[in-house]
This record gives sequence, structure tokens and C-alpha cells, in this order.
Amino acid sequence: MIAPITTIIASVKELRKFSQEHAAPAGVKQILICAGGGCLASGSDQVIDALRDEVLKQKLSGAVNVTAVGCMGLCVEGPVMLVVDDMTFYQRVKPADAAEIITEHVVGGKIIERLVARDAQGEKAVACIDEIDFFKKQTKIVLRNCGRIDPECINDALNAGVYQALGNVLDGMTPDDVIDEMKESGLRGRGGAGFPTWMKWNFTRQTPADQRYMLCNADEGDPGAYMDRSVLEGDPHTLIEGMVIGAYAIGASQGYVYVRAEYPLAVARLQKAIDDAHAHGLLGDHILGSDFSFNLEIRMGSGAFVCGEETALMASIEGKRGEPRPRPPFPAQKGLWGKPTVLNNVETFANVPAIIGKGAAWYASFGTEKSKGTKVFALAGAVRNTGLVEVPVGTPLGELIYDIGGGIVDNKPFKAAQLGGPSGGCVPKQHLNVPLDYESLSELGAIMGSGGLIVMDDDACMVDVARFFIEFVQEESCGKCVPCRVGTKRMLEILTRICDGQGRMEDIDRLIELGEFIKQGSLCGLGQTAPNPVLSTIRHFREEYVEHIRDHHCRAGVCASLVRAPCQSACPAGVDIPGFVSLVGEKRYNEALMLHRNRNPFASVCARVCFHTCEEKCRRSTLDDAVSIRGVKRFMVEQEKEMQLPEVRENADNAQKKIAIIGSGPAGISCAFFLARLGYKPVVFEKEARPGGMLVQAIPAYRLPRETLAREIRMVESLGVKIETNKALGREFTLQSLKDDGYDAIFVAIGAPDGVRVDLPGCDADGVADAMAFLREYNIRGSVPVGNEVVVIGGGNAAIDAARTAVRLGADSVTVLYRRTREEMPAYAEEIEEALQEGVRIESLTAPEGIVEANGKVAGVKCRKMHLGEFDRSGRRRPEADEEDCFVVDADQVIMAVGQTIDGSVFGGAFGLDRRGWIKADPVTGQTSLEGVFAGGDSVTGPMSVVHAIGDGERAAVAIDQFLSGEKHPFWRVEQANTTDYDPDEDPVPYPRETLRMMPVDKRRSNFDEVEQAWNESEAVRQARRCLRCDYGKCAVCEEEVSNA
Amino acid sequence: MAENTTCCACSDGLTEQEMLLQLDELIGEYLDKPGGLIPALQIAQGRFGHLPESVLKKISADFGKPYSEVAGVVSFYSFFSTVPRGKYVVRTCLGTACYVRGGKEVLSALKKQLGIDVGETTDDRLFSLDVGRCFGACGLAPVIMVNDDVHQRVKPSKIGELLKAYAATEEGVAQ
Repeated sequence: MIAPITTIIASVKELRKFSQEHAAPAGVKQILICAGGGCLASGSDQVIDALRDEVLKQKLSGAVNVTAVGCMGLCVEGPVMLVVDDMTFYQRVKPADAAEIITEHVVGGKIIERLVARDAQGEKAVACIDEIDFFKKQTKIVLRNCGRIDPECINDALNAGVYQALGNVLDGMTPDDVIDEMKESGLRGRGGAGFPTWMKWNFTRQTPADQRYMLCNADEGDPGAYMDRSVLEGDPHTLIEGMVIGAYAIGASQGYVYVRAEYPLAVARLQKAIDDAHAHGLLGDHILGSDFSFNLEIRMGSGAFVCGEETALMASIEGKRGEPRPRPPFPAQKGLWGKPTVLNNVETFANVPAIIGKGAAWYASFGTEKSKGTKVFALAGAVRNTGLVEVPVGTPLGELIYDIGGGIVDNKPFKAAQLGGPSGGCVPKQHLNVPLDYESLSELGAIMGSGGLIVMDDDACMVDVARFFIEFVQEESCGKCVPCRVGTKRMLEILTRICDGQGRMEDIDRLIELGEFIKQGSLCGLGQTAPNPVLSTIRHFREEYVEHIRDHHCRAGVCASLVRAPCQSACPAGVDIPGFVSLVGEKRYNEALMLHRNRNPFASVCARVCFHTCEEKCRRSTLDDAVSIRGVKRFMVEQEKEMQLPEVRENADNAQKKIAIIGSGPAGISCAFFLARLGYKPVVFEKEARPGGMLVQAIPAYRLPRETLAREIRMVESLGVKIETNKALGREFTLQSLKDDGYDAIFVAIGAPDGVRVDLPGCDADGVADAMAFLREYNIRGSVPVGNEVVVIGGGNAAIDAARTAVRLGADSVTVLYRRTREEMPAYAEEIEEALQEGVRIESLTAPEGIVEANGKVAGVKCRKMHLGEFDRSGRRRPEADEEDCFVVDADQVIMAVGQTIDGSVFGGAFGLDRRGWIKADPVTGQTSLEGVFAGGDSVTGPMSVVHAIGDGERAAVAIDQFLSGEKHPFWRVEQANTTDYDPDEDPVPYPRETLRMMPVDKRRSNFDEVEQAWNESEAVRQARRCLRCDYGKCAVCEEEVSNA
Repeated sequence: MAENTTCCACSDGLTEQEMLLQLDELIGEYLDKPGGLIPALQIAQGRFGHLPESVLKKISADFGKPYSEVAGVVSFYSFFSTVPRGKYVVRTCLGTACYVRGGKEVLSALKKQLGIDVGETTDDRLFSLDVGRCFGACGLAPVIMVNDDVHQRVKPSKIGELLKAYAATEEGVAQ
């Protein structure tokens, strides 16, 4: 240990000598362990004690030094520590690990693998801090000492070079020199507004006065930002140094740091630093023996967000209510107690010594044309590596989130990033490429702000987020300006109304109008920016507002009044999931099935092929894993011995009406099913020889046995639906001929049955097939030519289905080429996994360039390797071609599966298609531009899932009924009381999630038998009981039942 | 300033008379400081747990400021309380990061467990419940603060245990 010096450092010379004299003695092993706010909350104080005890126990005092340091940044993995010798970074360290760390590593030199980070693939251990993705892509200027020095030890700070810049300043720089240096550096205020620091200083310096003040804004109130806290707690001397330099430049003799009350640790450490600096002559009278004197005090906030605004902050220091006042006069003219005052943010000050120390030119080499240096961001929310990161200004948002932040938790899709807290806005996935600088962000309606960056995935409701921020500013509005006080209240009322499902369509424009008024009519930054989160979410996510208002639907499953249970809300068909799952839990299988069938004619089909959006929203996943809803359903449908028919309301009037449904896929059959239940007798026309649409044409039998599908179609037929096969639109009949035949209403659900053809050189060669045609030919006609070496181009479900079908038809090798990464393949993850097990090879990041022909026949595919470039509008990285040469994958058959489309000519120009070639139809009713003609399913939306099509069919049935009868009668939409037993006070059952069993690979490669096997009863019941019953108490009928019980 | 000013340490059953006697010593050095009123109030609340009317009246007299001005300051800042608070003030963070990571559920679990609403205090004066706006531990959301302790990644189902630990300390002290 270095003996603490008690004498005053009397001159710049002494300061310079200091670091040489007090350099850490050689041979002492340093262990740095984070004692920042985050790691302390994770228990780092206990780890520190354990390490120190261990050092004593092993009699290593003097040889090993355990130092508690400030925030290292990677809060999520805390407690974190660094063994300085070889720069090994340990994470999630527990007190019990202390002995091993000292014995094995510090003494024995062996790195403890289980405590180090993993690489991006989660495979390789990465021990050295400089090689960890999170750290290696950062540039640390502001946080240069955070996590490297003991914040409570001034010697440590001095050794690290803190106060050397102050020495430079007092050793011959004039105040003008300092301001010039600031000017040249291009430093802009890091509190959010980005005002040039030198200009603020210069204005203040030039205002004649007997007293000037230097203030630091450490009232870090923006929720989600905590870089100031980190500097205060991790490197307080750098802040003090920055403030003394600034005070010297503007001629201030008194300063205050205004720290918020929520940061008690920051206050304590800063106070100690101030006391120590005084004791060393670095604050107070005649600093470093010069003529310059500066005193610094802490003032604590008392829980008022508005005090982060400069004039309010000054009022608060003066001991008054923290209300802002009009500007001008600006603080540079009249600030604290009427004197010229500079107020800068903590991060701004932390930059100052670095600029003086290393020079303005060095600093200006980071960043963009208009914004120099670095910015610290607090990454939080749904990102893997939450914590503090510092990057050059102008770094693209996507790089921050994916390269440094490690991407989204659980690989969910990125939805938006919220920057700048209640004053800021959000950036949606289309703009992941936006450079993080002041100008680019404000163009998108967001702001750099203080650097809080909350990452949101699909589980965030943008309307709810807007409501959250407005509630925040409404509560924190000081009340002085009426537009802010009353306007935010009105906005909150409107947003609450929308979240409760009571919104009106005109509310959206009302919010925009109110927002503009508030911006114009408020005195301070709080009011002027308060509407930003709302305006920005409306700008980028207007459709979510519309869904809340029009459909009473919250797609994120967040808004409590609109969501009975998140799973049910996420089901496009609106199936009562907690209902049927809990009935299975009580072995009431027929009731369960009837409840399911009430909203979905294809229970057995969906038990096999549904991609279960319900499970993605299952709340049980916050506890352990989602309920295996599809697995429960699979067991349930196997129990159906006698066909369970749903309620049908016969109606003589309806039975007279003629309704034609074109297409017998899930949308068409679903529409027919619901119409039949209202007493209609619709006729379904099917182009192919067998009904089922994509279910029979594209989905192979090993996923969906033919009899399963046929049985459910028979069920629908038994309700009074007639299906006519081999009748195609544009061939046997037209829209007009149907009308001529007296059909009162028509539902067009022809799907997207045709494959998109890519214009690759050589694609006319013999042996090039289209996946849709390939699958259809096999599934309908029972045979299709298949090659020995098959290459499938594409990454969707059709590609995987074609590949697995080719395996079963005897291909020697099947290779799937996909131009993006495997994680980005649109096919369902389970299908990809099974394909791999069956021997399908997947070449990701590989794009086809052309077909190699030999004698007019396919001989191979010329490919080029790709790498990921910038983020595109879909929020994914765009694949870009490598420089390297092309290579050839041998093939005698190439199956293209790059997209699906419809042949618009079958409509005979009867109605409009959108620019992507799909039918234009009302999103709620399916009404097209032709009266009485409705459309739904893939032919409107483009290829979507089975259950989406089922939902579309149901909505069309309701709309057709309304069109024909003048009223809506969807009786199946009335929620049914859940009559199963449930004790809300009981702990959830502990069983883990089980997945369905698969047929062994060797038994499935050569046939089309079903691969997935249902559970037995005891497993199914156990799994069903894992449901947390989110629907409990959410339905009026159920409430009544409960109270009557 | 570094002393405990945020924690609502209990008044140890001080009578208001005793508070007034201690007050001079506590806030004396701030009387002549510019802007000393707020630090004085913070220190008084830190010692007494809350700021009863008699204390505010004495402070206003000592500072030579009208009572209305002092009361205006006290009512402006959310950290000041004129009614007694619990020994442990539990503050749920509803900052953005905590909000999107389930802070709302944590708050409702706290309400249920303590049987009180936000701003209220339990009958045994052990716990008060408040809402906070970001404690700067966003990386570990959702968080709550119990006095000055930050608890990270709080699960609604574990709230009971967490509170019990504080209640147990209390029983230990009582014995």
C-alpha cells in the first residue's frame, strides 16, 4: 500500500512528481472489483470481503491487493472483477469463488473458465477484458478511470493522472487558452441539448461580474440514464478536476454539484473526494500554489425531476421551490443569485481534463463532422448486455445494440429503442443504421438526450410506453405553465382511454395537436419536450394506436383491459387458451376441445402445425419456461373419440342466402365454418382435387397426417358446408359468373399458391423446380421427380418442407442455401432443427449466383459467400457479397423456395391489387373494392401462418353476416366462464416444460409417418397444470360464477 | 452533507418537544449559508423521519422566512414528508427500464404484501411504500430500494421473503 500523503501539493511541479514517486510498487498483484451501484446491488461487497479475508488467510497481504473500484459497465453480469496481471475479467462472482480465485488464479496463474465471459456464439470462453465484445468495441474517454481506480482514494486518482490536466492549465494557460481548446475540441453539452461547451463558458466569462458560479448538474433524472452516477461513484476526482478547470476558465470562485437524492452512494463518495481534494490543495484557496481559488459544495435534490432544468436547479440551490423561469436572461448573464453562471452536466465535465491532457485535436478525432468525442449510453431493457457503454458519437444504433449489447434477450425481435427518456423518442427497427449523433436522431424524432437507451422487444406496447412517459411528465410537471400542467393531464387521459379500449379514432390527431400546443406554450425543457414520446410513437407506430382503438387489441399483450390472457391475446384466432388448457388439466377433454373448436375449426391441424404465438407471450416464461400449449392441445385432440360438433344456430333466412367461398385453405374453410354456425349454407370452390389449400398441398404428411386434416374438413362439411373440388377461379368460373349465378356474397381466399421465380442465369435448365409446385405435385398426385443431389434455395417453411420431403423421397444429399444467417431463417426453429437431424445441410450466408448447366441439365449452383453488412429496413443486417471467388455446390436438382405469390389475372381485373400484388381489403372486414366481395388469408396479407388465415376467415364470416343481415352475430366471441378449480394463492406447480417426443431419426427418414408423438395422459395433465391462469378474475361471467360458488 | 439524509431513519419515538431541542444543533451551520434552507430541511427529516408542523415553524423562524415559503418548499419536493413514515421506506422504481421489465408487477406485489397503497405507511410504522423514478440501476431492472439498499432483479414472487428479512431484523432489535 502507498502511504497516504497528508501534505498539500503546493505546486504544479510537486503534482508532476507525485505520480512518479507514488507509482504502485512492482510485484503487487492487483485485483479490481466493482463496487458501483449495480454490482453492490448484486452483492459485490460480500465478494470484496471474501477476497480480502482470503488474502489474509493465505498470508498474501502486501503481495495481493484487492481494490474496490467504480462501475466497469457490464452491470448485468455483476458482481464483476478484473485481475490486472493478465487482464482477466470475471463475472457473476460469488463470495464462495474467492478462495479459488486467489489460489488457482492469482497464485497459481490458472484462469477459472466458468467465471469468464463467452463469445457471441456462447461457445468459447473469453477471459481477457480487451477481447470481450462488450468492451473491445468501446472507446473510453469519460469512463477512462471508472472501474480502474479506487474512487475513495485520492492517491489512486493522482496515480492515474487525475489533476494533471489541471496542472497544465495552472502552469501557463490563460482562461482564453482553455476556452479556445474547448472550442477546438468541439465538445458539446452531454446533458442532452448538445450546446457547445466553449460558447457557454465564453458568454459567462464575458459577462462582467464580481462573482461567477460553476455548477454541475448531477440531477440525473431521466429514467434509464445512469452514466453520471457512474462517474460520481467511480471517478469523482475527474469531475472535480473538470469543474476546477471550467471555473478557472470562466473566473468562478464558488461551485456547486447538484446531486439527486436517489444517489446516496454518489453523494458520499463525492463528498469524500471533495474533502480529500481540499486537504491536498486541489480545491480551496490558492490551488496548487497558484492565485486561483475555488470552493465546491454538494447540494442534494429532494425528488423533483424538473430540477434537472437549469433555471429550476438554480432556484433549488437558492433554497426555493424548484420552478423554472423564462429565459432570457440566460444563466450566462443572470444565473445563480443573479450572477453569471455555467451549468454543465457531469459527463461534460468528465471530458474536460481529457481534452486538456491529450489535446483538442486528439479529442476531435473521435465522432462525426458536427459532434466530436464520445457519448456514454446506458443500455437497458430487453438487451442482453445491459450496462454502461461509451462509443464515439455517430456509432450506428444497431452496432451498439447487437455488437456491444449482444442483441435482444431470448433472441426476440427488436422493436424499438427509446432514447432520451421523457424528453426523447423512439427509433424503430427500420432505422437501426441511424448514427447516434445529435442531428441524425432529431431527424427521426428522437434525441441523444442524456444517453438513456432502453431497448424494447415485441413485448413492449408502444401506446403503453407513451402513456408511461406522459404519466411521468404529468406527475413531474412543476405546474407553472398551464399548457404543460393541464395539457399533459389531458394527454394522459386520452392515452389511458386508448389503453383501456375506450379510445376514439380522432384521439390520435388530438394527441398530436395537444402535443404541439404544449411544446410551444411551455417555459422550460420539461414542457417543451414532454409530448415527444407520444409524438414519436405515433409517428413510428401509428398502427398500434389504431389497433387499440379500432380492434381493441394490444399486440404486445400489455394493456390489461384489452388482454384477458396474453396467450389468448396473441392467438390470431382468439382461442380461449387458459380455458382449454385448464380443462385438460382436469381431464375434461371433450369440453376442452369444444371450447377450442368454438374459435377454431382446425384444432387437430393447429395442434400439429401452429407456430404458437401464444407460447411466445406465455407469462410462465418469466418464471421458468412457457407452457407447452401446443403439446397440451396435441394430447387433447387425440382424445376426440366421437366428433364434437360446435353450436350451430339454424336460421331459415340465412339458409336461403347464397355464399361462395373461393379456396378451401384454412381461411376459406374457417369462413365457411363460422358462416355455417350462423345458419348459412356456403359453397366452397377448390381448384385442386383435394380440399385443404396449403394444408394439403404444401405441408407434408409427416407434419400433418392426411386423415387428421380430412376429418376436420368433414366436420365442417357436416355443419352444412358444401365443397366443390377441381373448380378454379378464372377457369371454371369468374367473379362475375358467380354473381350471375345469384351468389349474394363471395369470399376470396385463394392463398398464395405460386412460387416466385428468381431470374438466375440458367434457371430454365432441366432440373430446376419451384418448391410450391414440387410439394403440390407430391402431396396431391403422390409422386414427383427428385434428384440425388438436391439444392434448395431459400430459408422459409416451404424451403424446409421441400428439403425434408426430398430426404424422404430418397435424395442422397439435400443442401439448403440461405443468404442470411441461420438464426434469421423465417422457417420455424423446430422444423430447422428436425431437418438438420434428418441430414439436411444448411449453408447459411450463401447466395446463389447462377445455375451451372451441363447439356441443358442442372449440374450445380454457383454460390457466393455473404457477410453481414449494415442494418436494412427489416431490422436485420443486410447480407453483402464477399470478395472471394464463387464456388459451386454440385446438384442435379435445384428447388427454388424464395417466396410465394398469386396470379392476379384470375380476377380478370375485377379489383385492385396493392403494389406487392396482394388483394386490397379492409383489415377488419375483408371487404374489397367490389361490393359483396370479401377477401382474406394469404391472398391479402401475403404468406402468413395457418392460424392467421383462420382468424381472417372468422372476421370475414362476421362481416359477410353483417353485409347480408345488417347485424353482427358472432356468438362464439362471448367469453365463456372457466369452471375449473383454481386457487390463486397456491404456488405454481414446479414441473418443468416438456416438449413433444419425436420419432427416432432413423425411423423417419424413409417415410412420411408423423414425426411428433403425443404425450401420455399423466404428462399432458402435468403440463396443463403449469398454466398460471392469467385469465383468472378477468372475465365478468367468471367473476359471477366465483361469487356464486 | 454526507450523513444520512435520504433514509427515513425513525424518530426513535422523539416527542416534538425533543425534536425542537435538537434542531438548533442540527441545522445551526446552515442558517447563514446561502440557500441553506433545503439542506436544513433534509437534515431535519433525516433525523426525525418526517417534518411536523412545529419543526417547520421553528425552521421558518430560525431562517427568518415566512412559514408559507417554507411550507411551499416542503410541499414542492417529493422527498419531504409532513407525516411520519415507516422505519423502512420501500421505493419501487418505475423508471423506463424497470417499467418495461415488470416494475408494475413488483409494485402490485408490494401493495398486496404490505396491504398499503403508494404513499401510505403500515400500521406498525415499519414500512412505507413509494414510487421512485430511476435509481440508476437500470442494468439490473426491476429494482426496488429499501431505504438506501438497492435490491436488483426483484421478482414479485420473492417480495414476501425480501420484506420478511427487514421485519426480522426489527424483531431481533426488539429482543
